[in-house]
Amino acid sequence: MNTHESGSARGTPAGRTTEYRVAHLQDRLAAGELGELGVRVEVRGGAVLVTGTVPSAGCRDEVLSTVREELAGLDVHGDLVISEPSSPDHAEELS
Amino acid sequence: MIRIAAVGDIHMGPDTRGVLRPAFDTLHECADLLLLAGDLTRHGTVEEARVVADEIRDLAVPVVAVLGNHDHHDDRQDEVTAVLRDAGARVLEGESTVVRAGDARVGVAGTKGFGGGFVGASAGEFGEPVMKEFVRVSRHCADGLRTALERLDEDGCDVRIALTHYSPVPETLAGEPLEIYPFLGSYLLAEAIDTAGADLAVHGHAHAGSEHGMTTGGVRVRNVAQPVIGRAFHVYHLPVRHPAGTRSGAEAVTG
Repeated sequence: MNTHESGSARGTPAGRTTEYRVAHLQDRLAAGELGELGVRVEVRGGAVLVTGTVPSAGCRDEVLSTVREELAGLDVHGDLVISEPSSPDHAEELS
Repeated sequence: MIRIAAVGDIHMGPDTRGVLRPAFDTLHECADLLLLAGDLTRHGTVEEARVVADEIRDLAVPVVAVLGNHDHHDDRQDEVTAVLRDAGARVLEGESTVVRAGDARVGVAGTKGFGGGFVGASAGEFGEPVMKEFVRVSRHCADGLRTALERLDEDGCDVRIALTHYSPVPETLAGEPLEIYPFLGSYLLAEAIDTAGADLAVHGHAHAGSEHGMTTGGVRVRNVAQPVIGRAFHVYHLPVRHPAGTRSGAEAVTG
């Protein structure tokens, strides 16, 4: 008697597989209103970490809103940084 | 000494209108020219390009730009280019331009470039038509860059800069996932730079990458993607190896 549960033989609903949901989210971010903007989405244990730099606070809110909508039911930790628009305080001397 | 200000990946849109202008208005104090290393917009729309145009219009220093992949997304790259040129930017694709900085003539050769990867892990012109086309596009961009750099050498420029969006070397990608390196740059760009010679190579594209790198031939490479440099722009001071003295020449020639 085989009591081993074989997920692959019976199929796993794609909507329940975190890895595929994250991949689809990245497709949506790339094709969406914001473009992908270098936002990285990583699965860390049971949660999802969203990192990167975006041009404005509005972009940050929109990305995180999209992530939370697409990954509903998962813990989402956002750590998106807003681009710094100030002048540099030094130059690099190239010999 | 030439003072080169550079930034890429500013990804402007209506909600960031005017954000960079205060910093750009200080350029005359610290730089002789401003290089824009592509991905100036988010989707390459004309509306976004107009935001960029307003950001750079009537700056006190010449602006030289290449487009990035985002600037191509809406398939309106020609219109985006026209909007930026109307604002005074010299937008290069397989072309060069010469900027005067005091007595020195600074040549900039530019191309967007493309992917394909780096030595030991690069795509080849083989297999499906779309795969061959991918590599051909990358090779075409690199050929354009090499030709433009060679033209600047023939013109007797005191300093030559290679400006691209995609990276010529893997070092400045450090921090990005290794798996996506083939989409971030191509060794063909570095080969073109080393073959023709240059004093500095500037690129963007890799938001999570690193600022410093060097080609096999010893040309310094800087990734100026705004998330990498963490400022509105960075400034690099390049020595002039052959002072131009009183030599005269065209103020600006794009070809």
